[in-house]
Amino acid sequence: MSLLFFTKNFPYVTERHRPALDAAKIVFAVAAVTWLAVRGTQTIGYHWQWYRIPRFIASVDANGLTPGPLIYGLGITLMICGIGLVLAMIFGLVAALFRLSESFLARATARVYLETIRNTPLLVQLFFIYFVLGPILDIDNFTAAVLALSLFEGAYISEIIRAGIVSIHRSQWDAAYTLGLNGFQTYRHVILPQAARRILPALTGQSVSLIKDSALVSTIAVYDLTMRAQEIIAETYLAFEVWFTIAAMYLVLTVALSFTAGRMESRLWTDVNPGGL
Amino acid sequence: MKSEKPDKPIIVAEKINKVYPNGIQALIDFSIEVKRSEVLVVIGPSGSGKSTFLRCLNGLEDIDSGRIVIDGIPLDRNKNHRLEIRKEVGMVFQAFNLFPHLTVKENINLAQKLVRKKTGTEATQTTMELLGKVGMPEKADTFPNHLSGGQQQRVAIARALAMKPKIMLFDEATSALDPEMIGEVLDVMKTLARDGMTMVVVTHEMGFAREVSDRVVFMEEGRIVEEGSAAMLERPLKERTKIFLNQVL
Repeated sequence: MSLLFFTKNFPYVTERHRPALDAAKIVFAVAAVTWLAVRGTQTIGYHWQWYRIPRFIASVDANGLTPGPLIYGLGITLMICGIGLVLAMIFGLVAALFRLSESFLARATARVYLETIRNTPLLVQLFFIYFVLGPILDIDNFTAAVLALSLFEGAYISEIIRAGIVSIHRSQWDAAYTLGLNGFQTYRHVILPQAARRILPALTGQSVSLIKDSALVSTIAVYDLTMRAQEIIAETYLAFEVWFTIAAMYLVLTVALSFTAGRMESRLWTDVNPGGL
Repeated sequence: MKSEKPDKPIIVAEKINKVYPNGIQALIDFSIEVKRSEVLVVIGPSGSGKSTFLRCLNGLEDIDSGRIVIDGIPLDRNKNHRLEIRKEVGMVFQAFNLFPHLTVKENINLAQKLVRKKTGTEATQTTMELLGKVGMPEKADTFPNHLSGGQQQRVAIARALAMKPKIMLFDEATSALDPEMIGEVLDVMKTLARDGMTMVVVTHEMGFAREVSDRVVFMEEGRIVEEGSAAMLERPLKERTKIFLNQVL
């Protein structure tokens, strides 16, 4: 296994997979974590009741398979994250282009947005949008949740996009302008496609953050995964079982996202390495 | 060697001044005219303002004062004028500046489709003709990273020619190439010159200057020191030109 840097193709590391060894490592890691959890709860005398969990996910009865509250919660979380991510990318792109604009007003607007969002807690923004702006603009808690999340992550994404854009060499602008492309065409066909593949890893990280941060929307009574979990815990006192279950569900979401992004990344770099990364 | 040439200048630069933000004055009251189908070679030491002059001609750099008119269109604050001029003026760079995320064919197609509004089929047809002209039709679907420097530069020339420009600017087009690849690029440039393209060529290739230039300009510190026919390279009048030519030959 090529551990760190000094492989022949650095930085395009082609890692050699050994399935048996990889599987053994995963089994070992899972065993270690389980052992730690079991030991930990033994010492506080926790009484595990995992058998009560499945019906909160789904139950089988005369009508067939009925989804439980956690699945409904997951659906809401997915919706919030899906719409939130698209909006966050749009806010991020616009803010990044504003910051790089020749117009002072555009730069100032982007700067105020960025600093306001990055220097205040997400929870406060969520409350502000729902409790202060909500009644004025007549928006419900779901919309407020999506708006707050996407504005928040959009600020971070804008800095990632800006870094990607300025990392593209000036000569690419020269070449595009010389061919008669205007500013928009240059961004659209020359600069952004090259920036996109450079910033994909950082964008993936930010998207994972968005999924995790979405748990906060339960504070304005959006029935997302976390809210459902809290509700179940209040009724059943199955705190550890429920928290672990939804942690696993969040993990499935984030891992799926990272995996998809990894596939996209190797597709985007075909010119450097035709076989993919 | 060349056929008839109408006398009306296609490039007019009058008393242009260019000061970079760091305070360096790259061009001082620089004036020159270039006729249709003329091949103008600009030589001079680095920092003499040769590249700046080229970059001003298609508006990549703004001038601080003076006047530039390209084929009757003034290069001024008007964005449309600038775009019009860029359509008519092709430029080839020292570092090729191909778009690395696009194949050779896509590189050459891009501006034809976006700026000349051609369909994909029309653009590809022109592209393949030009790739044939520069001797690499089999590389259409290759990415620039997989080409040699000489090949990349030939693609860059084809990309510029695809816009059917009236003027071609070459900014040290062979300076970044390995010696054995300089010839293949110069050959393409020579063919262009013979076909009657108006060219402004910044170069250190004195052989090229001797063979195809109609006029040679020697620049230093933002000014023209001496200008004349290719014969100037053999018998410069000014002492400074003599010293420079001795150094590069």
